[in-house]
Amino acid sequence: MGETVGNLIGLNDEVIHPAATLAVEAHNSPSKQFLVKKIKIRHDLSSVVVLAFSGSMLPEDWFGQPPFGETEIDTGKFPSLTSLNDGGDAVVNGSFLRRFNDVLDKLSHAKELKAAIEKKKQVVFAGYSSGGPIAILATLYFLENQTLSPRCLTFGSPLVGDRIFGHALRREGWSDYFTHFVMKYDIIPRIMLSPSSTEHKQILNYFKSKFDKKNINPAPPSGFYHTVMGNASSVASYEACHLMGCRNPSLDIIKSFIKLSPYRPSGTYVFCTGNGNLVVVKNPNAVLQILIHCAELGESNTAEVEKRSLDEHSAYLSELKECLGMQAVVSLDGGPATATLNDLGLSPQAMLCLQAAEEFENRRSRNLEKIRKYLEKIEVELQMLRKYKENAQISRLGYYDSFKLQNEDDDFHANVSRLELAGIWDEIKEMLKEFELPDDFENKPEIIDLGTEYRRLVEPLDIANFYRHSKDKETGAYVIGGGPRPKRYRFIQRWLEHREKKPFGSRSESLFWAGVEQLGIDIKKKKNLQEIKDRIRQLERNMIAWIDVDKSLDKDVLLEKTTFVKWWRDLPRECNSESERIEKLIGEKAAGV
Amino acid sequence: MERRTMNQVPLFSSAGELANMVITSNLIDVALAKIPELQRGQAALPRSVQPIVYHPTPNRTIVVFAPPPDSTQYPLPEGGDLVPYPDFDFLYTKECPSVSINRAALNLFESLKNHLSGLKTELIARDGQLIITGHSLGGSVASLFTLYLLDSMNKKSKCRPICITFGSPLIGDFGLQHSQWNSFFLHVVSNKDPVPGLFLPSSHTQTTAYKPFGTYLLCSELGCACFDDPDLILKLLTVISSEVAGGLLQVVDYGEILRNLKERAIYKGPRLAGERFADSFSAGIVMELETIGIDRTKLLQHNIDIRRMEAEARSLAKKTKAFDAKKLNDIKKYMALLEWYKKKSKDAKKGYYDCFKNGEFKRDIRIGEFMGHLNAYWEDMVAQADRKPQKEGASFRTSWLFAGTTYRRMVEPLDIAVFYKGGGRDYINSERSQHYKLLEQWYEEPAKPPTREELDSKKQKVSVLLTEDSCFWAHVEEAILSCKSLTNANSTTELRESSWNNLVKFGEYVMEQIENYAVSPEIFLKDSCFMTWWGEYKAYIASPSNPCSLRFIEFIDFMKTGRYGVYGGSEVP
Repeated sequence: MGETVGNLIGLNDEVIHPAATLAVEAHNSPSKQFLVKKIKIRHDLSSVVVLAFSGSMLPEDWFGQPPFGETEIDTGKFPSLTSLNDGGDAVVNGSFLRRFNDVLDKLSHAKELKAAIEKKKQVVFAGYSSGGPIAILATLYFLENQTLSPRCLTFGSPLVGDRIFGHALRREGWSDYFTHFVMKYDIIPRIMLSPSSTEHKQILNYFKSKFDKKNINPAPPSGFYHTVMGNASSVASYEACHLMGCRNPSLDIIKSFIKLSPYRPSGTYVFCTGNGNLVVVKNPNAVLQILIHCAELGESNTAEVEKRSLDEHSAYLSELKECLGMQAVVSLDGGPATATLNDLGLSPQAMLCLQAAEEFENRRSRNLEKIRKYLEKIEVELQMLRKYKENAQISRLGYYDSFKLQNEDDDFHANVSRLELAGIWDEIKEMLKEFELPDDFENKPEIIDLGTEYRRLVEPLDIANFYRHSKDKETGAYVIGGGPRPKRYRFIQRWLEHREKKPFGSRSESLFWAGVEQLGIDIKKKKNLQEIKDRIRQLERNMIAWIDVDKSLDKDVLLEKTTFVKWWRDLPRECNSESERIEKLIGEKAAGV
Repeated sequence: MERRTMNQVPLFSSAGELANMVITSNLIDVALAKIPELQRGQAALPRSVQPIVYHPTPNRTIVVFAPPPDSTQYPLPEGGDLVPYPDFDFLYTKECPSVSINRAALNLFESLKNHLSGLKTELIARDGQLIITGHSLGGSVASLFTLYLLDSMNKKSKCRPICITFGSPLIGDFGLQHSQWNSFFLHVVSNKDPVPGLFLPSSHTQTTAYKPFGTYLLCSELGCACFDDPDLILKLLTVISSEVAGGLLQVVDYGEILRNLKERAIYKGPRLAGERFADSFSAGIVMELETIGIDRTKLLQHNIDIRRMEAEARSLAKKTKAFDAKKLNDIKKYMALLEWYKKKSKDAKKGYYDCFKNGEFKRDIRIGEFMGHLNAYWEDMVAQADRKPQKEGASFRTSWLFAGTTYRRMVEPLDIAVFYKGGGRDYINSERSQHYKLLEQWYEEPAKPPTREELDSKKQKVSVLLTEDSCFWAHVEEAILSCKSLTNANSTTELRESSWNNLVKFGEYVMEQIENYAVSPEIFLKDSCFMTWWGEYKAYIASPSNPCSLRFIEFIDFMKTGRYGVYGGSEVP
């Protein structure tokens, strides 16, 4: 103990309460889209700029298309919010996204923000209630644009994105920039786990009349708690089944009959226990379990808890005032601590869920360790193949054609290495698909670099093997996405393209040979001549760029006896557009050997 | 209770969470919605047990089976015996070539069969979710109907079924166990309901032929848990039935029970004891069993062993998709290594069969190791496929049968080499492993003789193909043995005669293989045992004094004139 919230989330404690105050004020000022305030830090005289967003309690601003109003995020604005391994793009609440888009124009022109960027001041986006999602999306938007590195603070915010959303945040290393304060019983942070319903409308209407101040004491709705929490509980149990390694084959069948909310928590959560203590949790699976289990009904009757679940949504300022001064803050990461759990009032079953969430993270770390051990093996095999490639230059055949012929011992050894490596990378691929590796795995520079070298060196061998056995006749051509191309290469290519912020397909140098082979086949088949000409031109241009500009394709494709050179020289002259340039490259290579 | 050892990773039991997910969703409500109505309706319309079908939403169909009216109070205890039911032969497996069904359920099902067959056709054509449900004996019929339906579905069917029963008795024996279809069944059973355990003996010391299948959601007033291990479910049902036996038989209101559980779902369990759990699996399962009314005393009484459950969960947890991906690539690697060996042997003018049999190279030792891995992998795959019911097994194996055939053609010759090197005789009938036989049997040769074009294309490729008949070398070895008998002065006349007949058959067989381009040209390599055999015995074999067939003469001619030198367009070996 002895830590403050600020320490744990990496933000000065003095900022939090003023930010909360501004967030509540902004929420209740619908005429302005956001409020800005500069907060001075006493001890080092620096200042932080806080922008807080207004909210809306209109049902259409919360739920679009029932039951959950989700929509795929616009990856033009948010290019990182996607899975790099077939999991699709992140899904967010469509109404919140729309409200963010409404405010974006004004936000990007806000002079206070421009000044803060210029003076390199810390910017905090804050939001209370339905202002929270806007703050989250705004923070992400600026993180994507790299114009500044803002922090995000929300208070009683509803959930915004799905599992991929959270996964992408953690992969990018942004998760720690988001801190969400949640009161123990507040209904709003849980509301998105339940499908839109009349109960939801009642809750929103209640808050609307309360915030509008037309009616100081509106009659609170009742009977919603079971609906909302029951549905939320279904989500928590489904996730718990996964964390606990459920092997019952009926799980998938049953799940296909149940429509569960797609939304999941992300970022750091700070739970206000209601007795002056704060509990900080970063493990997203633990956050979900606590969200549901700490609000379960205990000895008090339902009506009481129901009322509390509404009242606590308006109690952030007073609660934070009380706790922030104290140092009664516990971090749950590193395993559930007993005392804290008593503060949250969790049941033994909830304890097991938290242990399972912790174990899931441990398992991912163990898997990473396992992969780290493989890296040495990968390096050994790659070294063999590098040598193989070098030796294959002597015959002027190049390693692609040498491998395709499979005449020498070395070719066989290379094939064994290829298969060893495929085994390892396929295992990695499967682990990623099941979220069995740490979220930032695909963003680790050493992994991307090793993967890229593997892809450039070994994919040509897979292509050689593919065309050696004429597999195109059974499965269709070897192309960039889908089809017979092993998925491991597609994923590894995506990692690099993502790091370089390039579109999918822009790093296809490892597919050079597939392009050559397929053109050879299509020319024999006498396919559409114009199309073939275009493809040849494209191939030539790509090749020059890969060889000359970014050196991602090795010059050994230019060796005299390669499939490429033989094929290219046989082309009718009118097909080439870059003949001089390529002839020159071939000449240089021949002279160099 | 003993603690788990330190080096083991923690395990969890998710029986409670899975049940909670089901209870808090509306799936059960949907399934249960029409049952009371149907039961009321039936009072007015006795004897009608036909299901009702309705569509609450455009992509959801619900089929409800009500129990027959005279059985709602107590469903036919005299119908408790099991009768063989050949109509479900689609569930037969090698280990269990019969299926027996509870008589009461079967009679009801049979009486409806005409109606159900039409309904089945209609439902399969539909697109979307299909919930088949029923209470008590109605649930039993729902289960039988679901099996009947699943058998008629194929990959193209868009209808996605689930069967949910409430308080239904067990419907069948071990024969229902092997189907992957188990995952489509969810049986809800209250610990106050005498019906599900109706056909069970009152104590665990007596055995029963009944066997539960599918997932059971067991519930009490306090909570619920889902289990899918049939032995455990059987024990739990026995406990429940021993406790309700002798009590008042009253119809259990599942609607009421589930409403109560749904309410309870968002209540905390008993207060936290304080500590985190050192042994998460047993802590979880003990709590789960307690919530359905099975405390530690009952566990002991009924011989329910939590350690064994944990051990099973642990062995299941080891199997992951990632691990399988690695294993599959390892198998490919071993095959590549054998291919390499085959090529090296070809370069030595011998063929890999003879190289391996003579064990001349250093690397031959490792070949045995690769074979071992490959055999273990494929024996397991074949055994898995063989355990499944016919149709399921067929679809399971289509994806890998091609690879399996390549494996058989590559590796079986090596097994044959080991066998004959050890002095064995008659490999095909005495030693051939079951998994090779099945692999061959499953690989269906095209019924028609190959066309000219097909033969031409085979001719082009024959030098890179594997010999199709993986027992080819066993035939060669037998031919060698036949020749030895023929040339042995001590052989009896009968032995000579049968040996000669075998030899003629062999010649005819080889000729046919050659004409179909079904053998690799490697058999003609100078030092192969086939060519050695020919060299050694050709004078004897080609002697005109022995009776033979036209086809045999063709073979002799093929060999004598050296036409094998241009077989398959290949260079002279």
